[in-house]
Amino acid sequence: MNEERELVINPVVQTSVQHNTQVVSNIRNLTASLFGVAAGTLGLESYPGFVFYLVGTLIVSLLIFVFRAEGKPSEYFHRPLGDLWGGEVFGGLSSFVLTWTLFYGLVRA
Amino acid sequence: MPFLAAALNVVGAIFLAHAIFSTHEHTSLHPLSPLPRDIPLELLLSLALLTTGIVLSSPPLKPIQWSHWAGKISREGPSREGYVTREGEEVLGDVDPYAYLGLEAGREGRRGFWGPREARERFLGWVKEGGEGVRLRLGSLWCEYT
Repeated sequence: MNEERELVINPVVQTSVQHNTQVVSNIRNLTASLFGVAAGTLGLESYPGFVFYLVGTLIVSLLIFVFRAEGKPSEYFHRPLGDLWGGEVFGGLSSFVLTWTLFYGLVRA
Repeated sequence: MPFLAAALNVVGAIFLAHAIFSTHEHTSLHPLSPLPRDIPLELLLSLALLTTGIVLSSPPLKPIQWSHWAGKISREGPSREGYVTREGEEVLGDVDPYAYLGLEAGREGRRGFWGPREARERFLGWVKEGGEGVRLRLGSLWCEYT
């Protein structure tokens, strides 16, 4: 009820929300494949690889926070914690594993 | 900023390719020895350059609060997508959804209103000047009487 009232007083522009989600998702997909390339080339195996991916996504979130959201994520994301810091983290995981295994096989094996 | 982002991407891609190539050569020549330290360092440097370049080259975010979004449009005018159609029309991103009301910049918001006072004043001015032709405004049309 409270949130509904808040949305009536301060309405949210749906097209902007979609645009921002799309931008974050694009950045995540591109950087996830890059992290996969790096992890495979470094020869990471098992858990260190996933830790590498999580650290990388955290750094990318930080870059988006600084350069794209200009330090005010609540102005660009409805739920900053879920949409900016945790948005699309697991969506990029599959492309990370794909390039990770590919480059491990090409370079290290 | 777009130039900086493109430069970061290009330099990062070159470093990345070089690091991958070095790793490949090293592992095929000495399969059992660990990588020398400079290759992972170069790889991580290229990764930092590329991620920064990708974030900087992505389109800017748009404010989600209606008040901030509409305020930005009224301050900066309609946002442009940066390209034109084949017919030469500019593609606009966000425009003021209430522009058709005609309320911008102190307007009354009555589109197509005839305005008899305005027409009368213009007519009196014309009479004072002793002009030849009358221009009357009917709705959005101008009619010429001579």
